Amino acid sequence: MNCGEFEQVLPDYLEGSQNPDQQAHLKTCSACSDLLADLNLISSQAVLLRESDEPSTRVWNLLESQLRREGLIHAPTLPRPSWHESLQRWRAAWVIPAAAAMIIAAGIKLYHPTRAGDSSTVARQSAPAPPTPKISAEDTAILNTVAARPPAQRASYRADLDRANAYIRDAEQSVRSDPSDMYNQQLLINAYEQKQMLYDLAVDRSGGEQ
Amino acid sequence: MGREATDAGKCAVGALTVVMLAGVAFGAGVERKDLHFKVGKHPMISINNKYGPVRVKAGAPHQVSVTAILHSDKVELDQGTRGSRVDLVSHLLAGSDETSGTVEYELTVPPDASLTLHSGNGAVHVEKLHGDVMMEGDNGPVEIVECGDGHIHVRTLDGKVSLTNVHNGHIEISSMGGDIELNSVDGPFVKVNSNSGKIQYNGDFSDSGIYDFSSYTGNIEALAPSYASIDVLARSTNGPVQSDFSLEPKHTPFAMKVGSAFAGTLGKAASSVNLFSFSGKIHLKKRQN
Repeated sequence: MNCGEFEQVLPDYLEGSQNPDQQAHLKTCSACSDLLADLNLISSQAVLLRESDEPSTRVWNLLESQLRREGLIHAPTLPRPSWHESLQRWRAAWVIPAAAAMIIAAGIKLYHPTRAGDSSTVARQSAPAPPTPKISAEDTAILNTVAARPPAQRASYRADLDRANAYIRDAEQSVRSDPSDMYNQQLLINAYEQKQMLYDLAVDRSGGEQ
Repeated sequence: MGREATDAGKCAVGALTVVMLAGVAFGAGVERKDLHFKVGKHPMISINNKYGPVRVKAGAPHQVSVTAILHSDKVELDQGTRGSRVDLVSHLLAGSDETSGTVEYELTVPPDASLTLHSGNGAVHVEKLHGDVMMEGDNGPVEIVECGDGHIHVRTLDGKVSLTNVHNGHIEISSMGGDIELNSVDGPFVKVNSNSGKIQYNGDFSDSGIYDFSSYTGNIEALAPSYASIDVLARSTNGPVQSDFSLEPKHTPFAMKVGSAFAGTLGKAASSVNLFSFSGKIHLKKRQN
């Protein structure tokens, strides 16, 4: 097994589907084993976040450095609040882990480092995005949160969720087609901010009832 | 004489009818509450109202006056004060719905008050405040008029957002489907993030600020005067872009595709203007006056 093949199965590996070939590759490849260690650390920290109101700076730094390494974000050229400051500004206790998990998932999904002699990278980048399920588990949880609202509001919320997901899909596709384009990256960040807003608004309003 | 008496009689009957209708309405469970709070400097006012409009305007210093009209006994008004903080919550009781849970608020607050507002479907109007305004809502329209000098953050799902005569603000607006209109708005940081809602700006991009407008499918239209001092970058991944200005060319970190991106400077390029969309149309228009 080579690095490219391992990256293909990385999401499955993280979910526990492991085989001897993958283990053998990890023993001999420091790049892949380092990457795996980083992702495991981030995942474990994200789980811990459920217990706290505010993630530690270390977690945000890890997330940011991970995304930078993957080329999904770059150092900002404009004097503006950093992306994690923006994310932190509108936090809710359990939305942050959800958002973090989404970003990690996006990072894993989009992680395609170029290595010398890896001729499959270009082909992978131009390949169409894998089909996205109509509704994810996280979205189902959010829709359940707003289930008590009037039908028109629920429908409106579902439509907004679909629009946010469509934005994320298209922005991800743009990043894939040109990973070095910082404006595509900014669109992707904006798309995630919109989805985070949907999550926040669902939580806040439900907390005010009864 | 007889005619005057008849007119007077009609007026009396009319007035009586109004009083009776009001009585019927209030008899059906509508309740009006008038509250007054004494507060210190820079008070913080928090309102959480799921159904119904909220109007907030600047009044006398150190005083918060609240008029709340509760549409039924299925909703209560919870109030709390702590120091210079005033909390108002429309507390929905079991069995309440969009109609019976409605509360209409009208507040006058000190001009230096900061406002945190969670609203559902009701219209929100905020006027002449110079503190921070943090507002979240679902579908009701949001109007912010003659405010400034503070942070103004608005997050809404599908409500229309309108800011007029807002100066020196740190402004962030996020919307899914609601249109966003900024008229005579400036500040060191103005950011709008829309999904399908249209973004319209009519101002002079002053204050040496950063103006960052982006959308997914919504169109972006910015109207600026010929004397504007801007460094502008516009790009739509899949939509058309257009500028009425003859801009001084500038280097861009991406390849310029004619018709889908433009970049350049105008005047001393004091403010940075970024207009980005995925598939919306972008138009930088020149204002004639």
